[in-house]
Amino acid sequence: MAAIELTEETREQAERIGSADIVVGIAGPVAADELRARAEAVFGLLGPSFTSLHIVFAWPTPGGETPVTSLSADQPTALTFFPFSFPVQATGELWAGVSAQQRAVLGLAAQLNARACIVLGPDLAALHPHPLQLFAYAVLERQCGLVMPLYSIGKYDGLANNGILSPLSRALYGKRIRCPLAFDFAASGAMCVRLARLEPHQNNHGGDSLLWPVTVTATQSPQSTVGQVHLDVRHQVTSGSMDLSAVLAQVVGSLFQEMESCAAHWQRVRGSQPAPVWGAAPGHAPDGEPPDTRPMLESFLLGFRNLDEVWRLVLPPNTLLELRRLTKLAPEEFRMADELWASIVCDFALAWRLRTLSRTHVLGALTPLYLGWVASWIREASNLSHAEAEQRLEQLARAWEEKKPYLLSRWRWPDRFNP
Amino acid sequence: MWNQVEQSLHSSMGRAMESLARLLPGILAFIVALLLFLFIGWILAWIVRRILAAVGFDERMSRTAPTMADWSPRLAPSQLVGRVIFWCFFTAGVMVGVSAFEAGSTENVVSGWILGYVPHIVGAAVLLVIGTVLARYVSRSVLIAAVNLNLSYARLLSIGVRWMILVLTGAMVLDHLDLGSNIVELGFGILFGGIVLALALAVGLGSRDLVSRSLEREASRVAEEQQPERVHHF
Repeated sequence: MAAIELTEETREQAERIGSADIVVGIAGPVAADELRARAEAVFGLLGPSFTSLHIVFAWPTPGGETPVTSLSADQPTALTFFPFSFPVQATGELWAGVSAQQRAVLGLAAQLNARACIVLGPDLAALHPHPLQLFAYAVLERQCGLVMPLYSIGKYDGLANNGILSPLSRALYGKRIRCPLAFDFAASGAMCVRLARLEPHQNNHGGDSLLWPVTVTATQSPQSTVGQVHLDVRHQVTSGSMDLSAVLAQVVGSLFQEMESCAAHWQRVRGSQPAPVWGAAPGHAPDGEPPDTRPMLESFLLGFRNLDEVWRLVLPPNTLLELRRLTKLAPEEFRMADELWASIVCDFALAWRLRTLSRTHVLGALTPLYLGWVASWIREASNLSHAEAEQRLEQLARAWEEKKPYLLSRWRWPDRFNP
Repeated sequence: MWNQVEQSLHSSMGRAMESLARLLPGILAFIVALLLFLFIGWILAWIVRRILAAVGFDERMSRTAPTMADWSPRLAPSQLVGRVIFWCFFTAGVMVGVSAFEAGSTENVVSGWILGYVPHIVGAAVLLVIGTVLARYVSRSVLIAAVNLNLSYARLLSIGVRWMILVLTGAMVLDHLDLGSNIVELGFGILFGGIVLALALAVGLGSRDLVSRSLEREASRVAEEQQPERVHHF
């Protein structure tokens, strides 16, 4: 049934459990004792609307550990702890492991015929009553197919998401979702089946590509509602031994992969639709002094001086002229226009698709340009309040939408249309 | 005296024309064999490309062997297979043409030597192509990685790597062709030994302070990076 291959042992365990109303799955290995204690505490605070529901708390166990299913003695149909074994080995890359575990949790929810599945990050930052209530409300009460988080992050956080993933995903698939690649999200039972059945693409290194729930919903179930919930959660994302360019290549490469495989769909999408939002927006902690942008600008200038032979193969002449103009500006005047940044990423997506040069090289050569955009954003956002920064991000996303005809033309006729 | 000169010129011209007339059938046979094989190779490559396109070979390869595209980014795998088939037929055409040349002429010394040398030429050509592709790919990888590591001497490093691979490839090609093998080995040894010695002397004597400053800078950068970052990309 599903592309996710659960172990025979896990299937037997799931069959013994039967079915569930909600599966709350942790996308990564966690300490079982801590999880049980926190889950019991959280479950006690969920409120009366949850007491009639059968909730399964599932998390993957390290390879070799025997999964144990335990039922709460006093409430046998209310809460089940389900540590399950998972055959796919984590690749060690930041997002690849998380996506693989998310797929496993969704596969398990599909196996249990759950009405809703809430996937949480392995740092358990979102394992609190309020996020669970919001996710469950959006799926069970408001009939959302997919619910994505709206994190309360600072102006200088989540910049790869704000600068590339969110606006590109919105321009392509027409859904105004702020976090298309998230640690925490929720899906309806039907959507779990779709997500679990999906065969993951192979990335450049032979591993499975990342899970993009918004893309799957937009392309395979366009009638489903995609909602968002405000979460007062901050994930501490550590890239481990991977540097920025490697993580950026992994994430952006995966988005380009989805773009290529869903080209028939996104070429028909025009404009974008707002997504319903639930929950109160949490207050933002002050961001303090803006970070120093000099190292980023130095990286951008170093890239311009050295990577011209690569950028010339990817970017059209007018973009290169614009970049040359930027290099001559004083650091305090440095600002990368939204249109320029959007067209740069579009051109890199095209180079990735056309294999103008090795895909690894295409993604590697994007990092200095991204750092240039980050420096520009920090300089601009330092003078803005949180509300103004949000408006500015909305303006950026609209600029990306306006660039979509350019992307379409070059995607369809790469040789005929090259400004 | 002029009569003797005229006579010797006539006789030498006659001998030359006679030799050419003896070679002509062989040359013609060589050209016909080569053209025939080129035509067959072109047709076969076209048919194979069409068959591979029909069975979705490119899509399957991009899923199962994505690294292949890294080495030949501009060509789709089906085009690559087509080209390999074409050039195999070209090589076979040259070899058959040389045999035909031998059969069509009374001279067999040249064809025998060429036939014996063809494997060397083919091997050297393969080495040259692999070396050039490898040099371009590795130097570009080094350049991008060095820029992303903020190394100011990224281009120098990339050019150095490229030329090192090209020089190594050149030496291997000449060695494979049996051209001045002793000189090539000697020259290559001297060149590389010289580079390593020069670097060792530069670091050990002249650039000691520069190296220590560079190491200090790297150490302080590590200490800076260990502080919590104020910008979060993810």
